[in-house]
Amino acid sequence: MLATILNATLYTALAIHVVLIGVALWRIWRGENIVDRLISADLVTVLTLAVLAVIALITRNSIYIDVALGLAALGFIGTIALAKYMADEQMF
Amino acid sequence: MQTWMILLLWLMYLGLTANLQLSNLVVGLLIAVTLTAFLHPDPLRVDVRQAPGAAWSLARYVVVVAKDVIQGGIQVARLVLDPKLPVKPGVIAIPSGSESEWATALSAHAITLSPGAMVIEIGEHGMMYTHTLDTTHADESIAEMQRLRRDLLEKILPEE
Amino acid sequence: MDEILQLIAIIAVVAGTAFSTLGVLGFIRLPDVYTRLHATGKVGVFGVVLLLAATVAWTPLGWSKGLVLIIFLLLAGPVTSHALSSAAYRIGIPFATAVRDDLAESSEGGSPEEVAA
Repeated sequence: MLATILNATLYTALAIHVVLIGVALWRIWRGENIVDRLISADLVTVLTLAVLAVIALITRNSIYIDVALGLAALGFIGTIALAKYMADEQMF
Repeated sequence: MQTWMILLLWLMYLGLTANLQLSNLVVGLLIAVTLTAFLHPDPLRVDVRQAPGAAWSLARYVVVVAKDVIQGGIQVARLVLDPKLPVKPGVIAIPSGSESEWATALSAHAITLSPGAMVIEIGEHGMMYTHTLDTTHADESIAEMQRLRRDLLEKILPEE
Repeated sequence: MDEILQLIAIIAVVAGTAFSTLGVLGFIRLPDVYTRLHATGKVGVFGVVLLLAATVAWTPLGWSKGLVLIIFLLLAGPVTSHALSSAAYRIGIPFATAVRDDLAESSEGGSPEEVAA
């Protein structure tokens, strides 16, 4: 009984997060300025982490959390590097 | 005290591998010791006699920050759902009240972690220029939180 | 025991999805870059962390990885927000509405336009 409710909740959450990723991608395309687009790109990474967490819950397989760990580290470093590049106009 | 860093890295390795067999424990310990030997971390001054007090302060700090984060989240949720969007954004200067870089950095982290406040720039003598969504009452409340955090942080990482 | 863990997972997933939606809604509605960063920070701090709390409760063998990822997100989220807001201020993106600006009056800042020049 509770397992059915959990499954329904998980699939609903998955659908909602995919829609939210679509909204963030639209904001990358139609951003006001460069920082706005960078914030949208960071938002896409964070929402993909959420989707991976939901998929790990649906399949009950912890391998997806490993993928999320890698994506979190890469997204963090990428956003910091691009922000520093914008502020200083040089990478290092 | 590099022991703390070794312990931290070892715990993180064990968490990532989720495997408590003896061989895995040994491999993790070797990796942690090698990394610490290569990295030369800043020596964190941890006095064994003060360790229980510091741990108690750390626990209180986590509770204080968690309460602040949850309150900020609910406040920002209410702001976003309001159809009139009554935001009064602005930048206010908050002194961290401590010359220690550790305390200033951790205070800035805690302020930025809670939704509705965000440190943009850190000036001289630990002055934190904080962007807030609601500037009307934020001044006193954030400064008061900052005094509480400063006292706890100075107990966790005492200056000599 | 299974029922309790499933109940925790359901509550965490519902709350996390609600906070993610609120964050993206705020990202669309709020007027300028600095205020939008408050909203997107909320997706990272509440949305994903609550979903990962659900995985900690309900995925076998996944709890330790989930905890490591939660701690990483809580440490890295503010750093991202600060880097983005600092970069926006340095290249001179203006505030849409600002009630007060102590940074512009201080010696460090100058108004955004002056810093860009």
